[in-house]
Amino acid sequence: MALSGRLKPALPLLPLLPALVFPPLLIQMLGDLHGGGLTLLSQFVVAAFQPSLDPTVLSAQVTGLQITLITALLSWSLSCVVGVLLGLISSRTIWVLVSGTAGASRWIRRLLSPLRSLHELIWGLLLLQIFGLSSWVAVMAIALPYAALMARVVADQIDSRDIPAMKALRSNGAGTIPTLITALLPSFAESLSHHMAHRLECALRSALLLGVFGLGGLGTDLALSMQSLQFNELWSGLWLLAMAMGSLEVLTHRLGVKLIGALILLAPGVGAGWGRLLAMDLSMPQLMLPLTDLSGSGALNAAIEALPTAPWLTLIGSTIWLTALAAAVAIGGPPLGLLLWPGRYGVVMQRVSWGLMRLFPPPLTALLLLLLAKPSLGLAAIALGLHHLGVMGRVLQDELDSRSNATRTAMQCSGASQRLCWLYGDLAGASRNYLAYAAYRMDVILRDTAVVALVGGAGLGWQLRESLTSFHWALVIWLVLAYALLTMAGEMVSERLQNHWACEAGGL
Amino acid sequence: MPTRERRAVVLTGLILSLGITASSTSAGQTLKVGAIPDQNPEKLNRLYGSLAQELSAKLNVPVRYVPVSNYAAAVSAFRTGSLDLVWFGGLTGVQARLQTPGARVLAQRDIDARFTSVFIANGSSGLRPINSQDQLKQLKGKRFTFGSESSTSGRLMPQYFMKQASVTPADFAGGRPGFSGSHDATIAMVQSGAYQAGALNEQVWSSNVKAGKVDPNKVRVIWRTPTYPDYHWVARPGLDQRFGSGFTERIRTTLIGLKPDTARRRDVLELFGAKRFIPAKASDYAAIEKVGRQLGKIR
Repeated sequence: MALSGRLKPALPLLPLLPALVFPPLLIQMLGDLHGGGLTLLSQFVVAAFQPSLDPTVLSAQVTGLQITLITALLSWSLSCVVGVLLGLISSRTIWVLVSGTAGASRWIRRLLSPLRSLHELIWGLLLLQIFGLSSWVAVMAIALPYAALMARVVADQIDSRDIPAMKALRSNGAGTIPTLITALLPSFAESLSHHMAHRLECALRSALLLGVFGLGGLGTDLALSMQSLQFNELWSGLWLLAMAMGSLEVLTHRLGVKLIGALILLAPGVGAGWGRLLAMDLSMPQLMLPLTDLSGSGALNAAIEALPTAPWLTLIGSTIWLTALAAAVAIGGPPLGLLLWPGRYGVVMQRVSWGLMRLFPPPLTALLLLLLAKPSLGLAAIALGLHHLGVMGRVLQDELDSRSNATRTAMQCSGASQRLCWLYGDLAGASRNYLAYAAYRMDVILRDTAVVALVGGAGLGWQLRESLTSFHWALVIWLVLAYALLTMAGEMVSERLQNHWACEAGGL
Repeated sequence: MPTRERRAVVLTGLILSLGITASSTSAGQTLKVGAIPDQNPEKLNRLYGSLAQELSAKLNVPVRYVPVSNYAAAVSAFRTGSLDLVWFGGLTGVQARLQTPGARVLAQRDIDARFTSVFIANGSSGLRPINSQDQLKQLKGKRFTFGSESSTSGRLMPQYFMKQASVTPADFAGGRPGFSGSHDATIAMVQSGAYQAGALNEQVWSSNVKAGKVDPNKVRVIWRTPTYPDYHWVARPGLDQRFGSGFTERIRTTLIGLKPDTARRRDVLELFGAKRFIPAKASDYAAIEKVGRQLGKIR
């Protein structure tokens, strides 16, 4: 601690620090280059400008996109409503207000954390085993972790604020509910609705990813096109998706608190009605437990037998290593890019490339990278990192846009170079919030390691997919448990970092 | 909008949503057909669109094609009743039947009784054509990729034949094989050089060669496996109760009776890459089950 006190790096250098991962990763990639996939890669690029216009393909994709949108909308509204309720009951402030002690809130938070520790993909694959291929499975797979995450955000927002109006009302003898409604809700409605709008886009990405793993919608079409290397078909789907994501982005930025609220309440009706038009199966799912003779002691024996069959240290080690590398790529990338290419032209180009990175599902990026280089953990990390780099790029840009450029102007007037102005003028101001968000992103990346399994032997995710395709339930349970523990540990670390970097960042 | 009106709108929305959710319990009288995802979507949509029409006309019930992009999801969907009739691979068919007691094997293609996989290698890998199975040993230390985790021709049988030559997945470079995700991707990965060798379904290999998608200077076949039984149609139990007695048998007769006498039927058979369907039974796949258990893919 004493050492870190003396050797503290300047604030704007902190977001740049993870970029140190680029030289070794690039050297490894260069060493692994094989160039044999260039023809195919160029076909992929050319296909971007010649998307398939085959009516069979297009109509399937348009239907798929609608199913993906409905899934996103339903899961989003469900997770917002449930998340706010759970958030209220896991808030310390509210427990103190209602019962005088905050003890229960901690227990509720702990109970909720396993829910959000599993990736929606894993929830999807598990729920599929229990309920079959119902559309609700995809909805629930997203809503469960999202609701728990929303609960954490809501509780953090309430607890991290000192609300004078509340104290005033309480000391004047106002009841609990009126106090909540008049003092508490308005104070965080604005930032909460921002967060909810952002989550709608996340829900769309999640719904797409679930499709990639067989749960229907546009993701299924994209996965099939990708698997058979039909790049023209793939691009018509990607362009459709880009249009949907773009309009959603514009829409969510314009919606105010009230409209977001109305959308949440109307979404179930709209989604269910729309889904019916498409003959989506939204009937109540029935419990269909996997057929096993796992009764009591049998289950225990099978579980004990399965435990030593996996190389746990290697699996967990490579999962953490993959997360660290991918997070470094995602966090260090945007500031480094803007530092190296700061002009207006550079910013526009980088925004476009961030958009593309968000658009490509990580398995697709991994496939494209494999056309250039040999498989390795580094390659898996880059594939995963690039997707999140797209997200972090947008976070950084939003953060920079929302700040005044007074410092930079002052520096420019005193004759500093463009790069220095950007570094100490722009980035310095945005660093705290950017890093606070990055800490949260690391959790997401850890969960996402499950999706780059295709690159061969990358950690717990790979083993989990292998066990799921073997229907080896005993091992699946251990793997899910390991994932949950790992993400919970990661969450604790990231919470500390978040508190360290920005107390005022408010949970986002 | 005044507050009262707005409230009314919101309330109507909520009621509507509850109503729709509650009323949309499915009738369950549609025959849901699916397939493991090992071909391109355009082909799958065309193939299963035509097949659904053909089945619907012959069986006199509505038939719907449900696309699935994941092998394990297809098995689970069959077990849970989300799919009634599925075109499975050898391994997934056995997995599905073991998890769904009473499920019946109906038919296979003329080519499925004696199916083969090919091992392919990149020209720069130094791998030489293999004359005896024992020479599979030269794959040790190479970067090797399978197709999908549950693929019979792209993973299970190739792994089994390698095991007979005492080559295990841990012997490959990196200590593990890759999983390209599909037969087509395996060709692309090996041709590009990302992996030095790989194994896939011979039918897919031949059709890629015919379509000119393979560069013979970069990738070639080094070994063809012995034959084994592969793809087949499996029907859920209880279809006779739902659609009338003898229904399962009628599906089988319809499939086996498919002849290239109309444009639609010709199309279906062509897309399946078969001249006709022939009867199949569960015992035909006993060998696959044994291999599946040996390699831990069946528990």
